[in-house]
Amino acid sequence: MIFQLAVRNILAHKKRSIVTLILIASSTAMLVFASAWMEGSHALMLKNAVEIYPGYIQICDKDFPAATSYDHLIFDASAIEKILNNQPNIASYAMRFESFVLFSGDEKSVGAMLTGVQPAREVYLSRLAASLQRGSYLTTDDTNQIYIGAELAKRLKVEVDDELAFVGSGADYSFTADKVIIKGIFKTGLFDFDASSAFINKKYFDHIMAAQNLATQFVVLPKNPQLAQQVAEILNAELSIKVAEQYQAQSWQQRMSGLVQAMELDSMFGYITLGVIFIVIFFVVMIYTLLAVYGRVREIGVMRAIGTTPSQIMAMLMLENGLLASLSVFAGGIVGGILAVYFEYNPIVISGMEEQFKQYGLAVSSMPTIFMPAMIVRDMTVMFVLTLLSTLYPVLKVNRIPPIEAIHHV
Amino acid sequence: MFSMTAKIAWASLVRRRVRSLMVVIMIAISLWGLLFIEGIYDGMTEQMIDTAIRVDCGHISIFAQGYRLDPDLYKQIADSAVIDEVLQHDQRVRSYTKRLQQTGLVSTAHAARGASIYGVNLQDEERQCSLSGYLYPRANSDRIQREYDFGVKLCGALIGYKLADKLQVKIGSKLIFSAQNLQGELQSMVLKVSGVLKSNNMLFDDKVIFVSAATARKFLGLEGQVSHVAILLNDETQTLAVQQELSREFPQLEILRWDQLYPALLQSRQMMKVSNMVISTLIFCAVSLGIIGVMLVSVLERLREFGIMQAVGTTFGQIRNIVVVESLLLGGSGFILGAVIGGLTLVYFRAYGLDLSVFSTAFEQFGMDAVTYAVIRPSFFINAAIAVLMSTLVSVLLPLRVLKSSQPVEIISKL
Repeated sequence: MIFQLAVRNILAHKKRSIVTLILIASSTAMLVFASAWMEGSHALMLKNAVEIYPGYIQICDKDFPAATSYDHLIFDASAIEKILNNQPNIASYAMRFESFVLFSGDEKSVGAMLTGVQPAREVYLSRLAASLQRGSYLTTDDTNQIYIGAELAKRLKVEVDDELAFVGSGADYSFTADKVIIKGIFKTGLFDFDASSAFINKKYFDHIMAAQNLATQFVVLPKNPQLAQQVAEILNAELSIKVAEQYQAQSWQQRMSGLVQAMELDSMFGYITLGVIFIVIFFVVMIYTLLAVYGRVREIGVMRAIGTTPSQIMAMLMLENGLLASLSVFAGGIVGGILAVYFEYNPIVISGMEEQFKQYGLAVSSMPTIFMPAMIVRDMTVMFVLTLLSTLYPVLKVNRIPPIEAIHHV
Repeated sequence: MFSMTAKIAWASLVRRRVRSLMVVIMIAISLWGLLFIEGIYDGMTEQMIDTAIRVDCGHISIFAQGYRLDPDLYKQIADSAVIDEVLQHDQRVRSYTKRLQQTGLVSTAHAARGASIYGVNLQDEERQCSLSGYLYPRANSDRIQREYDFGVKLCGALIGYKLADKLQVKIGSKLIFSAQNLQGELQSMVLKVSGVLKSNNMLFDDKVIFVSAATARKFLGLEGQVSHVAILLNDETQTLAVQQELSREFPQLEILRWDQLYPALLQSRQMMKVSNMVISTLIFCAVSLGIIGVMLVSVLERLREFGIMQAVGTTFGQIRNIVVVESLLLGGSGFILGAVIGGLTLVYFRAYGLDLSVFSTAFEQFGMDAVTYAVIRPSFFINAAIAVLMSTLVSVLLPLRVLKSSQPVEIISKL
């Protein structure tokens, strides 16, 4: 009976119902889309930041991230290799040795990072090979051949096959200098990285830098990258038992906590903005509900006079608003979901944003959405609860009017 | 007559005080939210721009032709005395500083990094950006890192805190800086850290070592040349005019505005404007819907009242005025309340700032200050007033149309 009355009332006040429906549905669609956009673009930024070079998990000396000096190296790389070889959760791993040297071309000198890498393994762990622009990528048999960032090559005024000298210090703090041939030039899109990085086969690097069985870090790719944190914990347990507590495995969430926080901050500002818009919509829905129930004060008075209890009237009005809210939220969720799917495959490109991202060291040229059903359900629930809350005050207010006064309400 | 119209409109609003109050609160809250968003977001952008201008490029930067794209020791400003002459006599110039720059490798006994030396005059830097104010006191340091000096032998160096952390150095630590000199030879010099700086400019905190101009000149084998002149103006709006005049004066040099050197920051400012406009439009569309609903019901409820008024000689125009004034009273009250609350909120955050230290790692990574100070601009209030006015006026169109088509006189004759 109450359900029938609620449906009848929705249909009887078509205009109010349609306006409320459009308002809540469009708000829900906006929230679903905005959430999908924020999450999607943040996920892409993080994925790019992780996959270009740092990797999902890094193993290094506990003090190395804060003090990247030769005092905090991994001094027994083979022991860590043994542990990693026996891990079933790991898809691939490689060791690296990062050092800073002064490169000199024919005309110019620039200080930059020179890293010894395992070329074949790096293919699975970073986008170095995929970012090749000219020349060719490194191989495991390379000797004095170097793979250099495009911006660094530009600064040094060198090209593929040119000769480059560098001076630096070896792992034993000795003075090191060598001449290398540029084998390839890469461009990842991260300006700073491209302007300050060069790579060389670790076998040769070990020879010139006295770095045999030494590494600054191991980069690990878990079979399921989503489980990076759990795999890092497993590795930490293994490292402390089998090697030394001095070494630690850190997931990208720990290593790049600044970037993760920045994304959270961006989301927070996004939700504050949406929050302000939704507060206004909350009031609009409240006003419309107030107008609608006040338009029916006499009808409610008559119902009360013939024996309908306040709780039944409350139930009828709440059901009416609940039905309207469910329908609107459902429609909004569908529209928002469709938009989320569409823009996941057709990312939004905002011209000029690329420059801004580049300034902050992020390689992003488009901003896709992400379709996550759980997130859509969360947003729909939020909107449903908000809508019901906004109708609570008018419903309680009208229910408090005495029946006689209600019947004579003008 | 207007007084009568206003009295009737006011009486009508007071009679339906709950809904009137709701509309006023809705407008006030939307305005408060909008002002908060605009003030804080603008504050964040302006702080980044301000840091870049003060610490790095000034409003205008002068380079030798081609230096910016290819920073070469051969491409220096040869005669900076002529520039001194012009800038010292220009009343629009607040301060300027001359820098000699070269990239290289900085190393300690245990670590090395790519870095740039900036040969500067500390007095000029102090006038330009109060550089000493950026000296970074470190709680866990055994010495207070607050020495704004290059020492008697001029071998002192002020370095960014990120670079200091990476090299694990503090005041008194020795650094070796290696780079190419004008003759193309690689050479090194020993520097002693005399201060650590935290400027919130990513480049400066991560890669720059300030040394005495004389030391840099001697090390690089240069004489009177400088790499970069950064000029700070008294009034930012004069940037273009000063740039054009300097370009005419020194056609052989490259003279660039801050927004040409930091296009991303200019884009941030523009994006912020567009974003504020979109948010404002969305909010006031919703506000309009709220007012439309209230005004429409208010008009429909009073059709008999309007019918009687028309029957006793009130013209449609006078009734229209009552409805419009009602709507304006609602909008005006909401605007005043929202503007006062929003304004006070912004005054508070302009004075004390919005402390987001909980996200300090993120702010540090991107070279931003964790405390954002709000900006208050008259345009926030003017634009909001226009938006409220438009919302209120647009929202009476439909009720007035309904009122005109329903012919109240006929309605009372039927009752």
